[in-house]
Amino acid sequence: MMSVKEINTVQKPIVLIDKSLDFFNGKVLFPEKLSKANEMLKNIGLPKINESSEIENAHK
Amino acid sequence: MIGKLEIIKLERYELKSGEKLEVFEFVSVGPKGRIVKLVQFTPTNYKDLYNLGFGDKNIETGEINDTVISNNGDSRKVLATVVATLYAFMERHKDAMIYATGSTKSRTRPYRMGIAKYIDEVIDDFEIYGEILDGWELFKKDKEYEAFLVKQKN
Repeated sequence: MMSVKEINTVQKPIVLIDKSLDFFNGKVLFPEKLSKANEMLKNIGLPKINESSEIENAHK
Repeated sequence: MIGKLEIIKLERYELKSGEKLEVFEFVSVGPKGRIVKLVQFTPTNYKDLYNLGFGDKNIETGEINDTVISNNGDSRKVLATVVATLYAFMERHKDAMIYATGSTKSRTRPYRMGIAKYIDEVIDDFEIYGEILDGWELFKKDKEYEAFLVKQKN
């Protein structure tokens, strides 16, 4: 049985909770992507989050 | 340019998720029919860092395929729906960072194009980084990247 869960109001979506999708919990559906991610992150690490004080302009 | 109000109204598919908000499902509808899409946020070897996986589910075999190109004429709506999963996931996982890349260079390009298209609208909510040869830099619209990393702003 589904119930409606309102995650947020405006920009954030409404998500229907479907417990049948819990079947996938703990299963890796995209193992190659995950492996690639772990490998790349091992090599280059993570970005220094919030390091720049000019984030608002840096994406341009 | 698309304005903030427009992205809020941007059409997207109805989302379903398990209770942990780590696996999402929606149905793409177009000329090729109804295609079930799955988005999964999977923990990586790094704390609070999740990999975004996205692909089609074969409803007959249950098989998941992240290499197929659907061409169902709704890429904009699909992209908006995937962005919506980010918001939903991060609502539950406030400190999470999301790593995303395509399975090949050509499949990474749509990620870049999608981010470039909507970055002005999501920049208030997310920090977005692009992977370069030996590290990361804040995402720039006109540059190719190997992968992307998204973090919700506090």
